[in-house]
Amino acid sequence: MLWVDKYRPKTLDHVMVHQDIAQNLKKLVTEQDCPHLLFYGPPGSGKKTLIMALIRQMFGPSAEKVKVENKTWKVDAGSRTLDIELTTLSSTNHVELSPSDAGFQDRYVVQEIIKEIAKNRPIDTKGKRGFKVLVLNEVDKLSREAQHSLRRTMEKYSAYCRLILCCNSSSKVTEAIRSRCLNVRINAPTDEEIVKVLEFIGNKEGLQLPSGFAARIADKSNRSLRRAILSFETCRVQQYPLTSKQVIPPMDWEEYIAEIASDVMKEQSPKRLFQVRGKLYELLINCIPPEIILKRLLYELLKKLDAELKHEVCHWAAYYEHRMCLGQKAIFHIEAFVAKFMSIYKSFLIATFG
Amino acid sequence: MDKDMDMDMPLPEELELLESNFQLYDDYLDLEPPEPYLEEEQEEDHQPAPSIDPPLISETHINGHKRSRSDGSDASVPENVCPSDEKRSRFDDVDPKSDEDWLRYSPPPRETNPVVEERERVVEEKIVSRYASQIDGDCIPVTAPSGDRVYAKICRVEREERLKKLDVKAQSGGLILEPVSILLQKVEQEAFSKALQASSEGQSGITLPETPVVHERLWVDKYAPSSFSELLSDEQTNREVLLWLKQWDSCVFGSEIRSTCDEVLSALRRHSSIAQHQKHSDSNFLRKNRGPRWRNERFENSNNYRGPRWRNERFENSNNLDHENSNSKGVQDLWNKKSRLTGPPEQKLLLLCGPPGLGKTTLAHIAAKHCGYHVVEVNASDDRSSSTIEAKILDVVQMNSVMADSRPKCLVIDEIDGALGDGKGAVEVLLKMVSAEKKSDMGKENIAKEEQLGKKSSKKGRKTASLSRPVICICNDLYAPALRTLRQVAKVHVFVQPTVSRVASRLKYICNMEGMKTSSIALTALAEYTECDIRSCLNTLQFLNKRNKTLSALEISSQVVGRKDMSKSAFDVWKEIFQRRKKKREIKSDNNSSSMPNEFDILHSLISNRGDYDLILDGIHENILHLQYHDPVMQKTVKCLNSLGVSDLMHQYILRTQKMSLYVYLPPSAITVHHLVAQVQRPNIEWPKSYQRSRTMWLEKMETLRSWHYKIPPYISRHLSTKSFVEDLISPLLHILSPPTLRPVALQLLSEREKNDLAQLVSTMVSYSITYKTVKSEPLPNNPRHEAVSDTSSLSFNPPINDFINFKDYSSGHCVLALAMKQVLLHEVEKQKILQVSIGRSIHSTDGCTKERRDFVEVEASRAQSTKTDHVPACVGKNMKNMSQCNPSTSKILSNLGSSESTTVGVKLKSHGVVKNSFSRSISFFDRFKKLSSKGSQSTDVAVKNEATLRDMHPLLFKFNEGFTNAVKRPVRIRDFLL
Repeated sequence: MLWVDKYRPKTLDHVMVHQDIAQNLKKLVTEQDCPHLLFYGPPGSGKKTLIMALIRQMFGPSAEKVKVENKTWKVDAGSRTLDIELTTLSSTNHVELSPSDAGFQDRYVVQEIIKEIAKNRPIDTKGKRGFKVLVLNEVDKLSREAQHSLRRTMEKYSAYCRLILCCNSSSKVTEAIRSRCLNVRINAPTDEEIVKVLEFIGNKEGLQLPSGFAARIADKSNRSLRRAILSFETCRVQQYPLTSKQVIPPMDWEEYIAEIASDVMKEQSPKRLFQVRGKLYELLINCIPPEIILKRLLYELLKKLDAELKHEVCHWAAYYEHRMCLGQKAIFHIEAFVAKFMSIYKSFLIATFG
Repeated sequence: MDKDMDMDMPLPEELELLESNFQLYDDYLDLEPPEPYLEEEQEEDHQPAPSIDPPLISETHINGHKRSRSDGSDASVPENVCPSDEKRSRFDDVDPKSDEDWLRYSPPPRETNPVVEERERVVEEKIVSRYASQIDGDCIPVTAPSGDRVYAKICRVEREERLKKLDVKAQSGGLILEPVSILLQKVEQEAFSKALQASSEGQSGITLPETPVVHERLWVDKYAPSSFSELLSDEQTNREVLLWLKQWDSCVFGSEIRSTCDEVLSALRRHSSIAQHQKHSDSNFLRKNRGPRWRNERFENSNNYRGPRWRNERFENSNNLDHENSNSKGVQDLWNKKSRLTGPPEQKLLLLCGPPGLGKTTLAHIAAKHCGYHVVEVNASDDRSSSTIEAKILDVVQMNSVMADSRPKCLVIDEIDGALGDGKGAVEVLLKMVSAEKKSDMGKENIAKEEQLGKKSSKKGRKTASLSRPVICICNDLYAPALRTLRQVAKVHVFVQPTVSRVASRLKYICNMEGMKTSSIALTALAEYTECDIRSCLNTLQFLNKRNKTLSALEISSQVVGRKDMSKSAFDVWKEIFQRRKKKREIKSDNNSSSMPNEFDILHSLISNRGDYDLILDGIHENILHLQYHDPVMQKTVKCLNSLGVSDLMHQYILRTQKMSLYVYLPPSAITVHHLVAQVQRPNIEWPKSYQRSRTMWLEKMETLRSWHYKIPPYISRHLSTKSFVEDLISPLLHILSPPTLRPVALQLLSEREKNDLAQLVSTMVSYSITYKTVKSEPLPNNPRHEAVSDTSSLSFNPPINDFINFKDYSSGHCVLALAMKQVLLHEVEKQKILQVSIGRSIHSTDGCTKERRDFVEVEASRAQSTKTDHVPACVGKNMKNMSQCNPSTSKILSNLGSSESTTVGVKLKSHGVVKNSFSRSISFFDRFKKLSSKGSQSTDVAVKNEATLRDMHPLLFKFNEGFTNAVKRPVRIRDFLL
């Protein structure tokens, strides 16, 4: 078991990073007045951990006993019947699912399946009617139609069903939904917090942490706690008596993008662009999301760029990312960005050096 | 068709140059699909033939002589020379004129119907126009007033006859004629190519039914080429098609030829090759007698003049016959040589493709007829379901008609690309036959070849083979999905447009024939406008003529010229986009304003006719970076990619909102690209594959990830999304899974801490449900120190997670464990899994909470430190016991509950292979269960029951490996294992 999982806090009391939020959540639960919740924040900040801890707080340890169900739902969509395959994790009191897995049919998931799940009230052991929690992952990937149908569901079954929504960016969640939820912003942990966690783990594992090493990891981690812990463990595995100078193994895809960036800086021509296209395809094939590719590429390019160009390049990166979100073929837009960058950079070089 | 036969027979006997009349009628025969009509005509034909002979002969001589003289220079003269002649004929009443001509040669009364007359006239005129120029000087004396015409006619007739002759020969199996035919064709093609250019002619399907009224005949039919040399299509293609057809000769005509040779040679030395049927009418006999004389004369002639090469060759061949006729062997050898050279073609199918109206069907028909086949056409109008088509093909391919027309059949499948749904059957059947052929063919062909090599060996007829007749398929779009498979087995010929000038001159000629006034500029424009689609040109012209309108160049587009709603193949569209047309007009007028909209229109209609914008844009994206355009600061590239991006946005928007009407706005983005990057030179275009390929690979990997995700227990997997997996997890995980610190040594040599690490690694692998799997193909860099271990197979991660960082041209810094280490890990992981299952069960019975399981795993990880056992609940302690027992051959140590020794010894034994190697797993199962059941009193009932069943499933298996080991040995009894 990786340290990430091993030292994941299981209760709200043990939470190390967002203690204030955890305490607030705990208060909510103890007062038996839990609204719908919307957790949002960057990856690796601890949203799911908090949600799990919260559920455990509500239902006790039994909430941790989950079963995975992969079920095909028959949904009546007007004239035809759709088969939607959906995986759910469920315990007696809560259900987790990612409606966006259904792709463009997510509307039916929300309209039919979630409603169906929400309708069934669990019966408490004491004969009281309990309430149920629905955890929806990746709400920001839901289509607008699905989000619109979601808000009715939220109201209608609010008497005995609570929704916990989880997403990276609240901007992609419609106003209507946001206003129906208590929005909980989970910040990415600061470097200090990461260092604290790493030191805690080091202690538990009985490791000698050289001074500054944890800080270096935190610095490299992009403020993602998951990545920090993973690279910490990697370092530990690579070479045990940890030294402060130790190499922290980089992410492979980031290295690859750095290669692309240096390719782009070296030569600006359609031919080079074609090579870059091949590499971009490689990244896409390996399931790296195009937004991340573009973002990282920009980051790598900015590192080597003249300050005067940075603004413009950022502008264009944003421009093409926007278009990429609207479009379908990410490669077109990433490539267009690379071409644009080449163009800017080349004319800059010509202007500067003649 | 006895008549037909009769008619064919005399021809050979008089050799090539004889009857003009026959020839003409023969052509008509070919033109006429309806059978009854043919019969009629034959009756007519027959009479004039014999009587015509004498005059013709003299003319032929002269003609031959002349041709040889002026062969090269006859390029485009006909048009200039012929008009007077033609005009006269035009103004004359049709019938009298032709009668006149004929009367000159042959008095016999003729009961031709108007249709025949009409056609006759046409042919005559063509001939005149073609050869008048050659004949000018020499031949005038020979004939009456219109001397030229007469010569010309004869010349033409002679040529035609020769062609016909070849047909007959091919069919009847002549001796020399086979080799000659190909040579002749080539030479002839060369000789006539220029003439063809000058006087091109309309072409169309020959089999179109004729319209009842004489003057209403479609020009397309009227001026359809009737012989091979008149074809307007590309020379090269024509020739290759003919060559391909000729290659069939050995297997189609092979045996027939031989038999006829034997029979006939004894009787008729000279014309053995031709005489196929032994029915002799009187006239035939006459001609037979006369034949040699003509022949010799002609032979001398040609020798004297030493004309074009084809002629010589031909005569040399006939020489062969003349001089070697006494021994059939010589001829046979000749034939053998020939057939060996060509043999049956490797590709049994011929696929002709090209835009409509270029004469594909015409070519197929003419070429097949030329080679002596009877054409059977299947087109889209016929039923093409697989059962009917199969019967039909078998009919054609395997059977010989018992009717008099015993010409072998050649199947022409027209419009095969329209073969969708039902029609797909045709393609399937063909493929089936071809593949069946290939299998059975290999042997057969060898035999056939050997036999051919051996002299005088009889050729085994390959008629029984599944596909023993040529099949020609015709399509417009080579890349139609239905043809994908066919493309691979067939010989493909792509038709290219004939040059505009060639088409225009042919049109001009036809207009002259029809008395329609046009300017060549207008005709050129028309040809350009229709993209050299002769059919549509002719139809347009006829239409205009009917309405007494004239065609003017400027009004082409505004006039009633039919514009085809034609969609080009995707390749053509890309080519249009990337290639800038050379515009003469642009040179003339510098202002772009006039040409730009025109170009825009053309491209726009081109792209929108094609539809399938997604594909078009993909193709642009794929190929654009290969173009050679001048772009110093990449601005053009940026613009192009931007417009591609816009089109992508639009496409997505349209799909999402289902507003299909917005598709209208997609072509302009492609046109933008055209204006930015179009170059004059020919682009090298590739089919866009990379996007689709990346998409499928992406899906594949996603699937891998997803299935792995399901396998990971939920308390871990719920925290992982695909995104976070590839982004954060994969690289560290790979590092963690293959730690470089783990020494590949015997496990008992590991230090306490290393053992601890190993245990942790195993638990990680188990919790992420990763194992090693034997992979045969992929050679992993094995540690050289461990060659001793089996080297054929290597182990790699079971969900192939290392693939996710396998970028092209990228080497990651991950170290790979030694094979021995992997084996150990694999074993440990399997063991751990089994443990978990059984523990899970026992825990289930005692406590429903999963917490214990996790605790257990923790304990498991650090089980060497017995201090931690305090925290372990009772049931877990019990399991600990089980676990230590599970190690085989540790019976002695059983009592040491939870001692670190147990694992060490167990693993040591395993790694040294004393007890077992790869079978260790099953044995350890068994041992464990054995022991457990013997100590069943301690374990819970559930566990016992469970393991009892498991034991029954695994019978006892021993494997004893002989060998030497340095390990600490201790005597162990089998009984101890079994206990």
